[in-house]
Order: sequence, then structure tokens, then C-alpha cells
Amino acid sequence: MSEQTFYRQAGSYLDSVDVVEVQRGPEPGGVGGAYRAFGETLRGLKTTMSRLIEGPLTIEYPEEKTPVYPRFRGRHKLHRFEDTGLEKCVGCSLCAAACPADCIRVVAAENIPGERVSSGERYAAVYEINLSRCIFCGYCEIACPFDAITMGHDYEMADYDRTNLIFTKEMLLAEPIERTPLKSEDE
Amino acid sequence: MSEKREVTLTIDGREVTAVEGEMLHDAARKGDVEIPVFCYEPKLGAPVGACRMCLVEIEGIPKLQTSCSTPVRDGMVVHTRTDQVKKAQNAVVEFLLVNHPLDCPVCDKGGECPLQDITTGWGPGKSRVIDEKRHFEKPIELSPLVAIDRERCILCYRCVRFSQEVSEDAQLQLLERGDRTYVGTFDERPYVSPFHGNITDLCPVGALTNYTYRFRARPWDIEQAGSVCTLCPSQCNVSFTVRDEKVKRVIVRDNPGVDDGWICDRGRYGFEMFDAAERVTEPRLKGGSKTDYETAIARAAAGLGARDGKVAAIVGDASNEEGFLIQEIVRGALHSPHLDSRPAAGPRIDTILGLEQPEVQAKVTDIDEADVIFVLGTDPMQSSPILDLRIRKAIRRNGARLVVATERPTALDGGAEAIARYAPGQAAHFVGELTKAVGGTENVATPLAESLRDAGKIVVVWGERLGAAAAAKLLHFADALGTKSAGTDVDGPKTQDSLEISAHQHVGLLEVPDTANARGLREAGVLPDAGPGLAALAINGHGTEAIREALIDGSLDGLILVGVDPLRDFADTARWEEALNAASFVVAFSTFATATAGKADVLFPLETHAEKDGTVTHPDGRLQRVRPAAGRPGDIRPGWQTLANLSLALGHDTGVTSQPTAFKALTDAVPFYASITDAAIGGRGIRWQETESASSFPALAASAPSSAPDAGAASADTQRDSASGEAAPVAGALALGTYRDLWAGPITELNPPLKFLKPSQRLEVSPEDAARLDLDSGDTVRVTQGAKSLEATVAIRERVPAGVCFLAEGVAGANANGLLNGHQVSVQIEKLSEVPA
Ligand code: SF4
Ligand code: SF4
Ligand code: SF4
Ligand code: SF4
Ligand code: FES
Repeated sequence: MSEQTFYRQAGSYLDSVDVVEVQRGPEPGGVGGAYRAFGETLRGLKTTMSRLIEGPLTIEYPEEKTPVYPRFRGRHKLHRFEDTGLEKCVGCSLCAAACPADCIRVVAAENIPGERVSSGERYAAVYEINLSRCIFCGYCEIACPFDAITMGHDYEMADYDRTNLIFTKEMLLAEPIERTPLKSEDE
Repeated sequence: MSEKREVTLTIDGREVTAVEGEMLHDAARKGDVEIPVFCYEPKLGAPVGACRMCLVEIEGIPKLQTSCSTPVRDGMVVHTRTDQVKKAQNAVVEFLLVNHPLDCPVCDKGGECPLQDITTGWGPGKSRVIDEKRHFEKPIELSPLVAIDRERCILCYRCVRFSQEVSEDAQLQLLERGDRTYVGTFDERPYVSPFHGNITDLCPVGALTNYTYRFRARPWDIEQAGSVCTLCPSQCNVSFTVRDEKVKRVIVRDNPGVDDGWICDRGRYGFEMFDAAERVTEPRLKGGSKTDYETAIARAAAGLGARDGKVAAIVGDASNEEGFLIQEIVRGALHSPHLDSRPAAGPRIDTILGLEQPEVQAKVTDIDEADVIFVLGTDPMQSSPILDLRIRKAIRRNGARLVVATERPTALDGGAEAIARYAPGQAAHFVGELTKAVGGTENVATPLAESLRDAGKIVVVWGERLGAAAAAKLLHFADALGTKSAGTDVDGPKTQDSLEISAHQHVGLLEVPDTANARGLREAGVLPDAGPGLAALAINGHGTEAIREALIDGSLDGLILVGVDPLRDFADTARWEEALNAASFVVAFSTFATATAGKADVLFPLETHAEKDGTVTHPDGRLQRVRPAAGRPGDIRPGWQTLANLSLALGHDTGVTSQPTAFKALTDAVPFYASITDAAIGGRGIRWQETESASSFPALAASAPSSAPDAGAASADTQRDSASGEAAPVAGALALGTYRDLWAGPITELNPPLKFLKPSQRLEVSPEDAARLDLDSGDTVRVTQGAKSLEATVAIRERVPAGVCFLAEGVAGANANGLLNGHQVSVQIEKLSEVPA
């Protein structure tokens, strides 16, 4: 494109665009000035005052928490059967196969009669998720043939130590840990 | 094979060239057309057409045909993807799944399951079955090592065919009929066979699983790493399943030239010992105190260097490179000629050269094509299990005839056409007689000679245990036989000429040595009378037994032991104990903390075949590479590195700085390995006889003493063979023969899953002697030889000749080696207690 055509095109563009007039305020001083100083301030204050009766909107995290959507994919949970208390996970490693971040490690073992851990022939002797690598895609949940693993709603997993982010089976079976005390009702 | 005609056929529009007689399925594979199969497995022999998964459409034949059992014909037009075929495939899969539990998540086969793959690839994708599936108790023990889940079985017959037609133990059967059919043994007894682990590789579903691997890992958790099993001279090709740097499973890595696609249970289940508590994982000093490599090497070098010229070495379990470096240390750095790689006095170098000549050397696959297989002085089942399967296959499928001549009854006796038993210690005499019988003299060996004469292609599978004198006569025997079968009448001593006339077109020798890499160590120069490449030496040193005596009389002072356990594996334990105590400085390399290792002043760890990097040589001359698969536990360093550093510390630079340089040093030193490269060895190994450097193999001297009938009868070599060395046997005494039991040793002691196989000492006697001595099977007896004795349980065996008894070597607590003294011995038997009624 030559320089000329460029300007020609730019020019025709400028022609077709509405030119916005700048609205200028009253000149400083005089009545206009006084109105600007108080009137506009009061108008602003009106908004402030009207919100004041709504009460504060700030969520006092971590004492208070934002609710999440039902399908939010937070920290994983391993589940047990409610009736028998056995672990649903049979250590099949399908979740590990599905995981795109390769952050699940399963080492299975055979159930001993009388000391059953899961309902199948095998159970997960080691089940670890490295949450510092997890991308919370939920593929593990989809892969699991027994609904043994689901993504929970817990998103508070920050830690000072990376090694603490490797969640073991016991941690995943337990309810999420309460990291910070929530404000009690009457506080 | 090569004279088979080639045929051309069309499969799915592709032109494919196949060999006449080949099955359609294999031909299709050549054309990159995949036809699903379940029951077809060429290793198992003739196809049975049991599963119908491989149906294809052949033009001109109205019904679909099983491609696994239809041989190719010229001009055949085959379709594998027509609607008719698809419908059939869908139907077969649907039928198979009617009773299949589909419990993939808990099934150990999941992820590597042909049924999963074929169902997703060729199945209908959905099931119409709403009925109850069949149920069996599951999982149950088929054997202490293999679990069976009968619900998952698709009745493909593979395991049953293995048991019936490959290992020929005939224990597995399909019982019941129809949908109640299940795989089992008679009366639900455990399936016992030294090869039964192979059925877990064969089973195309998760019906047969290894207890040692159940649920240990999924295919995406593991890596497969190919190596070579060095637990016996068969040197089977294996693949290690490794998870988290540890071996979790051993499976076959088919090599038709070596193992025919099978491995024995020793190789398959003998991997947990790699992690045993008894494993030596760091250098140690006397008393077991742990140390680092630098200190250990400095100590070893100081101790050995101070005994310059008075150090000997005995090598057992080592790679070719390690063997080569040890002979460098002993000969080069310590100026001593004394080293050996054989448990007992072995044949002299001229005998070895004669027996190793490429023309007389049989390769393993020669057994497949042999007309007659002559098993002499070895029981392959105990010493080289995979050869046992190979010989059975030759008899069953190729109609080979079998002739057996051994001291002790062998596992192969049942299939033999002629059997001879010679008394323990009489091997040399027997081979001599046999040679005469082949030449036409009538004697005890005549019946055997009849079977061997004019037999066509003969493979002699002979054991190193024959002894030096017998080995010396063996070449003469082969020579007589070869010449005889070639139709020339020869009597009298052989000359170089007659050796060439026979050209051994007909006779091949295949050794079954005592240790896994016996041939490689020999060729690397770990012999008292030959250097690398079996080259003659200026000064010959002592062999194993002479080293022992020299240590006791003080003419030798220091000892290097590499991968040997004389206190367990060598004859005459007491004398060895004395020798080890007499040695003022012992450096040992050992995998496990054995009694022998406990005597070492400096103890270095050894790698196992899952960790080692190096080459080994198969008894038929095939160089194979052992490759590191798993991590080395503890502080273990590679063997070549320790040895090279030790040599350096002794002031002898071998120039070895890595495994490739070690290999290079070896191939430079051994002329007939010269053209072998790592690439040539590859995954399958290469026989040096088939390379151009084979011509550099040292020729036999024209008047080679080994081809004269009685040459080997030199003093020390024949100790084992001269019954004359002993006073006349006391009345009632039995001649003692010993054998190496497949399961004796660390294999059953350090592998928890194999503990149930740990042998206890059995005294095998003939029914005649048992009656005379009033013994019953199961009685406890004391077996006494001179001042030494052990306890054993009596086992009466029909096939043991009268006057002879057998004990196993290496059995913990009752080791027959303790009763031996290098001569033929006889033992007294005293009954201690009766078998409880
Ligand atoms: S959510 Fe995704 S990344 Fe995280 S563990 Fe599951 S599969 Fe892996
Ligand atoms: S969580 Fe589910 S997919 Fe993962 S191992 Fe357990 S059962 Fe298998
Ligand atoms: S157990 Fe396995 S190998 Fe044996 S018949 Fe059944 S499916 Fe075939
Ligand atoms: S036959 Fe020998 S080499 Fe083969 S697997 Fe068994 S022990 Fe290993
Ligand atoms: S593979 Fe052909 S019938 Fe089974």
C-alpha cells in the first residue's frame, strides 16, 4: 500500500465517523462553579447514601466465603459406600490414565477377606493427587467407573510447602480441612 | 524351509507374497491387514480353530473360514472387511461377552487385554444380554503363583494346549461341557510345573493372573525393558516390567533362536530377590561394616597389591566384560596366572578348542531340525530348563528321536527311544565305550549306538558335569559318529583328516554348562590355561580345585571371588572353608550376603541381570546383551566400573571408562568377537560363528591331543572320574551321585513367592536298595561319607539303578556338596525315623 492510498483511505474513514463534540462545563467561578462544587458532590453522595442502607457488600474472606456453582470443580473427594463404609475406589487407575496433567498415582493391592477396604477384588493402597499440578479439568471424575472420585467445592488449598499439596487417600477421603475459622453466627 | 514355494494372494485388494503352508492370518499380517485372533498362537503348535474370531471370506468358498487354520494358496482372494465378515465378528464378540463379567476396572489384564482391544475394534459396541451371567467362585488358586478367574475365561484353549503340548505336564484340562466348561486340574490339585507361569502370558483375558503381579500396576504405569535372564545357561530373552525403578514382573521377549518364546518359572518369578534384605547394596569391609567405594577399592588394591603374584580369582556370575577385566587384573595387574570360571576341574584348553570349533557347534535351533537328539550327562530340566521344552517340541512336532545317557533319571526319559544309565563318576568310561560301540564293537553301549548310528542329523546336548575326561573323549565320539553316519568306516585314532571328512554335517554339539555365562567367561579368558580368545598362554595357572589346594598349602595367598559361592555350590565344602580361612586376603563380589561373602575382607556388591549392562555368550555362541532395566538399589555401581577402578588402583590401566569401552576392549582382545558390534547384537543377539570373524577361531593343532581317545586322562582333571582313588567301598554303601536342583539356592530362599518350592534334601534310591536297607519313601535317614553326614528324606525312584543314590547340591542345611571330596564317593545310609503311618 502506498503512502498516498493510505491517507486517502484514512481520510475517507475520518469523514464517515461522527465527530463527537466535547461538552464543556461552565467557566470556573460564579454560580456554575458553586453548583459544580456542591451539587455534583451531593449527587454523588446520594448514590453513596442510598447504598448505605443496603449494608456492606464486602465478603470478609476468609471468614466469609463466596458460594460456588453446583458444578464447580474444586478439590477432589474420594467416597465411601454409605451402607458398608467400604471405599468406592477399586484402584483401577483409570483416573490416572485419563489425567492430562499426570498427577494421579495409584498403587493397587488385593483385598484380604475380613479386612476389606473396597468392594472389588482390589483397592487403592496408595492414592495420591498432586494438586499443585492438577488443572481441575475433571477428567478423573469422568473416567471413574465407580463414581469413587468427584470434584468437590473446596478451593482452599494454598500452602507454604509444595509437598503438602500431594493429597493422600486419607486426605481425599476426609472432609475438607478447615483452614481458617469461619465467623460464627453471633459474631 | 528355504525350498518352500512362494505364493501370491490378494487380501483386501492388496497383493501379498507368502510362503506355501503359511496360515492366512500370518500372510495377512505381512500385508498389514490385521485379523483379530484369540486362540491362534503359533508357539503352541498347530492351530485349533477354537474361538472363531478370525473368520474371513475367501472367494470361491461359500462359508467363512478361520484364517488361523487355513493355509494360503496361490491366487486366493480374501476379504476381511465385508459385511458378512463384520457380522460374524460382531457375533463372535457378542457370544464371548455373553458370559464375560466385564469387570475390567478390577481385572488385572485391563489395559493390556486382547479381549478389550478386539471388543472395541471388532465388536458390535453394545450388548443385548439381559440374562444372568454364569458364576464361578473367584479368584481361586490354580497354583500358589497363578490365580484363576473362571468367569473371565473365554475357553480359548491356550493354557490347556500349553500344558498338554508344550510343557507336556498334562495337568490343565477343560472340564465339564457347554457353558459350564472351565479350566482346571484333576481333583482341583494345584498346577505344578516349572514352566506354568507361561500360561499367564498366553491367556488373552484376565482369567489367569500372577499373584506376584496382581494389581501392582497398569500398562500406563510401567515401562518394559528388554534384557536377558542370567539365572541359568539358557539365557532366555526377557522383558522386565518396571514401575518406580523396581521390577514388578518378568515376561517373555520371544527369541526363536534362544528361548522359543518361553521362560521358566525361575526366571519369571525370581525377581523379588533383587530387593531382598540379604542383598549387598554397598561395599563392605570384614565384619560387615559398610563403606564407600573409594575406601573399599583402596583397601582391596592395597591387600591384593601386597600379594602380587600370589592372588587367584574364581569367577561365576559375571558378564563377558567383567570376566575380561578380572583376567586383566589377575594377569596384568597382579602378575598371576591363576584364574578359573568353572566350579570343578574343567577340560583343558585343547579339548575346549576342539569342542568349540564352529563346525561341530550346534545352535539351539538345530534341535528343531535334528533327526536324533542325544542328551548326554545333563538333565536339561534342572540345568537349562528351556532346552527341555525345545527338545520336547522337536520330538512331538518334528518327529525327532531322543537318546538319553545320564547318571540320574531325567525329566526327558519318558520320550526317549533309548536310555543308558552309567554309574556316577563313570562318564568318561561310558563315552569311551560308546565311541567304541559306534565304531562297531559290541559292548554295554551298543543299544544306544544302534540308535545313533546312521541317524542323519544328530545334536548332542552334553553337560559340563560330564567332567573333564569325558569331555576330552566327546570330540572323538562326535567324530566317530559323524564319520560313521557319513558312511565311512573308521577305526582307530582319529586324525585331523578324518575330522574334516566327517565335516560334522551330521553331528553338532551343544553344551549345557553349570553357570549361566560359562562360555562367555571362557572366551573372555577366565581360564587357567587360555587367555582372551582362548589363546594359548606362556604359563598356565591353577584351575578352581588347584587354587583351593594352593590356598591351603600357602602357595597362594589372596583370592578374588566374583559371583561364586564356593561354600554352597562347589564340591567339598569343608575343604573350601579351610581354603577361605587360609587365604589371608579375600576380595569378593557378591549379589547377596552369603556365607562366602562373609569371609571377604572387602566385599563389593554385584548387579543383577535387571541392573547390569554388559554382554553374555550363550552356550551356542550367541552374544547377547544384558541391559539395565531397573534402578540399582543402594549405592551399587556398575561391575565394569568397580573392576576398572580396582585395576587402575593396582597401577594397571585397562583404558575402560564406560560399558562401550569395556565391550570394545573385549572385542579387541577376542579375535572371533572382532566384528561384533553393539548394533549387531541388537535385541536378538548374534552368534559369533555366523560373523566374519569366526574364521579367527584358533584352529586345532594337527595332532590335537583331544582327538586321541585317552588324552584327557591326565591326573588332576580326572579326579571326579577315577573311582580308583578311593578304598574299596564298604559293604552296603551306595555310590553317590549329585545333581543341581532347579530350585536349590537363593532363588527359593530370597523370593517370598517361591519359598514353597524350596527343596529339602531327598535321598533318591532304587527300589532294590530300598528293600535291602528296609527304607520307605518318606523315611528320614542319615547319609554318611567318612566323617561327614547329612539328613535326608528317602524317595524311592523306579528309574534309579541299584547300587547308586542321588542327593541334590546346594540344598540349605543338607548340602550334598559337603559329602563330596573331588573323588567318586560312596555313602552309608542309616535310618533315623520311619515315615509316620
Ligand atoms: S482434575 Fe484433571 S488434572 Fe486434576 S487430577 Fe483430575 S484429571 Fe488430573
Ligand atoms: S478413583 Fe475411580 S478411576 Fe480412580 S482408581 Fe479409583 S476407582 Fe479407578
Ligand atoms: S484361562 Fe485364559 S488361556 Fe485358558 S482357556 Fe481360558 S481364556 Fe484361554
Ligand atoms: S530357563 Fe534359565 S535363562 Fe530361561 S528364564 Fe529360566 S532361569 Fe532364566
Ligand atoms: S484364532 Fe482362529 S479360531 Fe481362534
